[in-house]
Amino acid sequence: MKTVKMFPIIILSLNIVGLLAVYSTDPLRGEAVFIQTFFGRQLMWSLLGWLVFWGISRIHYHWFIKLEWMIYLIIILSLIVVLFFGSGDDVGTRRWILFRSVQPSEFSKVGMAVFLAAFLSAQPEDYGSWQLLLKTSFLSIIPTGLIFLEPDLGTALVIIVLWFSALFFCGFQWKKILAVLAGLVGLIPFFWLVLHDYQRKRLLSFFAPQSDPLGTGYNVLQSKITIGAGSFFGKGWLSGTQSQLRFLPAHYTDFIFASWCEQWGFVGGVIILALFFWLIWSIFRIGIETPDLEGKILTTLFGSMFVFQVMINVGMNMGVMPVTGIPLPFISYGGSSLFINMIAMGMVWNIAQSGGNE
Amino acid sequence: MWNEKPKIVINHRIELFTWILFGIFVFLFFNLWYLSVLQSGLYQEKSERNRIRMIPLQAPRGIITDRYGQILAQDVPRFAAVLLPGSANPEKSRQILEKTIKRKIEEPLRDRYSGEIILASQMSIEEVVMVEETRKELPGVMIEAYPKRIYPPGEDIAHIVGYVGKINSEELKKFGQTNYNNEDVVGKSGIELNYEEFLRGQKGYRKIEVDALGRIVRILDTSFPRFRHTLTLTLDLELQRYCNELLAGKSGVIIVGDPTNGELLAMANQPSFEPNLLVDGVSQDEWNELIENPQNPLTTRSLQALYPPGSIFKLIVGLAAQEANIVSKERTIFCPGYYEYSNRRYPCWRKAGHGRLNYEDALAQSCNVTFYTLGLELGQDRIIDMARRLGFEEDTGIDLPGENHGFLPTSRWKRQKIGEPWYPGDTINLSIGQGYLLVTPFEIFQSVVAISNRGVVYTPHFLKVVQNDKREVIERTLPKVKNRIELKPDIWERLIRGMTKVVVEGTGRACRDLPIPIAGKTGTAQNPHGNDHSWFAGFFPIDNPRYVFVVLVENGGDGSGEAAHRSKDLIQWIYDHRENTLNENG
Repeated sequence: MKTVKMFPIIILSLNIVGLLAVYSTDPLRGEAVFIQTFFGRQLMWSLLGWLVFWGISRIHYHWFIKLEWMIYLIIILSLIVVLFFGSGDDVGTRRWILFRSVQPSEFSKVGMAVFLAAFLSAQPEDYGSWQLLLKTSFLSIIPTGLIFLEPDLGTALVIIVLWFSALFFCGFQWKKILAVLAGLVGLIPFFWLVLHDYQRKRLLSFFAPQSDPLGTGYNVLQSKITIGAGSFFGKGWLSGTQSQLRFLPAHYTDFIFASWCEQWGFVGGVIILALFFWLIWSIFRIGIETPDLEGKILTTLFGSMFVFQVMINVGMNMGVMPVTGIPLPFISYGGSSLFINMIAMGMVWNIAQSGGNE
Repeated sequence: MWNEKPKIVINHRIELFTWILFGIFVFLFFNLWYLSVLQSGLYQEKSERNRIRMIPLQAPRGIITDRYGQILAQDVPRFAAVLLPGSANPEKSRQILEKTIKRKIEEPLRDRYSGEIILASQMSIEEVVMVEETRKELPGVMIEAYPKRIYPPGEDIAHIVGYVGKINSEELKKFGQTNYNNEDVVGKSGIELNYEEFLRGQKGYRKIEVDALGRIVRILDTSFPRFRHTLTLTLDLELQRYCNELLAGKSGVIIVGDPTNGELLAMANQPSFEPNLLVDGVSQDEWNELIENPQNPLTTRSLQALYPPGSIFKLIVGLAAQEANIVSKERTIFCPGYYEYSNRRYPCWRKAGHGRLNYEDALAQSCNVTFYTLGLELGQDRIIDMARRLGFEEDTGIDLPGENHGFLPTSRWKRQKIGEPWYPGDTINLSIGQGYLLVTPFEIFQSVVAISNRGVVYTPHFLKVVQNDKREVIERTLPKVKNRIELKPDIWERLIRGMTKVVVEGTGRACRDLPIPIAGKTGTAQNPHGNDHSWFAGFFPIDNPRYVFVVLVENGGDGSGEAAHRSKDLIQWIYDHRENTLNENG
């Protein structure tokens, strides 16, 4: 597959950009020993990530496909454990287990992609049937609901996107896809009732960020200011008052794209967008070129997952998407997220290399 | 493979999706372009506004000293805790602050014009240290030093120096909003108000860069505030204090000044108020208490209160009589203890009568009968005219705000306001300073100045010198003739001889045994509400006067008593402590 030779290089480029971005926004830079700084930890996770990437890419992906139900069971169990025994943060959410080292919701993204790929590739004759649609929706709604209860709106949305993409790529008819979409929209009032107050405010502030510049709309407004202040070439490496003086909240996680743009300007922003476009386009190319069904579905699900995350995150940085707490893959600070992205990429790379041979 | 159809479908959908993908990225690209290229200017400006704060630094006011350099008013640093807007919840910050400095803060939270919230405005240096030590718990809280006005002599100078306070909306309008803002302090009364222009300092500012928590990252630029002028007054603080002591426990006024140049040395008003309390702003209750106090401590009696002058007014009647040539040296008038006019008896203060008195002796003994006679011969117009010439019912030009005028009754006024003609009885009352006639103590003072200086009156003033911040004199109040009363020299001398006799053998005998001869006149103002008010006014040295004084003791009985005795102590004090000033020339 000559079109995707560069695949690990693209990931490496994104990884380096991410490390630079975390370094420049590290709140503990120069204030803690290296290994305790955000950059230090992110670097460690990156090294670990590459190890995992290498390891996973050496394992034939069919091995994971065969684990199908086992993976599904682990997802559901770990999400239940989180709900009852997980440790949380100060807004009352519970996302972590095992001493704050593992976020099961993050792993469930990859797990659900593998499970859906396995589940759907086993019954290609049923594609387009209502029966299969209902089965997959039932199987998807359980982890989605559990994640939603943590609550982690962003990840829950990713799971829904995975399921929706699976329907789309497996050739379900447009009217059925539209029906599913209508069903999801119909569920919004129900979701609204379940949402936490801070989540409602976040969503509302997306529609009117000016209404409360010091409250919930603050993030979005500051993020736009940060990107705008960066101008065409940016203010330069480690400069930029918006993120350095912390007017921009979550400047090393959710809003790292804005911090990057403040330093590197429009040019820097375009570089990130271009790298992501290249990466996602490559993933889909691999999907087209890989001969077997499991590989195709898995790559397209991973591709969709990235498209969705990049679109939501960059969009919310620019104030055109609601603030949902979805990190920017490879760039945002966060070990779990980086780690599972590397697992996913390892599988995609294995698919690309194995070319469907067992 | 066994079924190619699903794979074809998937590839088909992927091709389709590539277009959607392309669309998404084009959308993101153009949004980025819009923000960081098209709208960049707008957001750069917003970003600057995020981080840069201008903190105005309150300017200290000029120092006010007495003539010997004693501090009357100055600014001392005080500290306030200020919360930058949007950095934290004000109530919560207030609670943390209270816990930090271990006391309850009573004042309400209030907004400043720049949006900052004042958490506490009266903090000691110890409390500032406590706050600085727990800086991290108080994000967005800044400690600010600001100048606070203090008046070391307190009550003793309250009516002269006045006090400052927070500017109100009317003052803001008056001074113009470009130079003042609603946190400024302005002079509210006295010298502080009158010389606001000099006393007001030059404001400074501090341009700071703050982080999102409002913590100061660095100071970009500072312009230090400074005071511009120091005012030296003609006031003699020690003398002023002594005058207040003399009036202790009484209501009354003592004014002391130099007739040769218009300098005022003391102006004691009792009761007084504590200006230091008013600077911080008092509560409505405390303010009402001050205003409704029946003793009116806020009233500057010397300039604002009206009293009948009593016999002191005989000096004016005497001048009018001398000018009218109705008191030749040979003329004597017999006093049987009363004066009879159209079947009414007007009493002399001495019921037994003074017997036969010439003009000078009549002044010395303050014989009412003599002055009834002279008054009726003169008619009220000539008396009022002489009073006008001596400056009654006219601005004295003193450099303190709020001066009142006395009241000189005329037949026209009586016809219009009371609806009655002017009766000879009214003239009789006027001749001894009673009836409708009212004066301020300062008007009496000015008339004695005119007599002591033989007709020349200088504009009275408290301001002596204005110095700039380099201690260069930029303004000096020079003697300025305010009024020149043209009378034959021997008219003055004869009146002064009478005033000398007042002390030597007349009603002012209390001042007889002083080491320095003085000229004076007593007065007893009838007071329908209680005991008579006691007046004594005079000057010394007689031939080359350097001191003019007026003493008024409310409800002090007749003038030969309370007022004259206090005058004696006053003169003795001046002789003991300020002897050098008595011999200087000019």
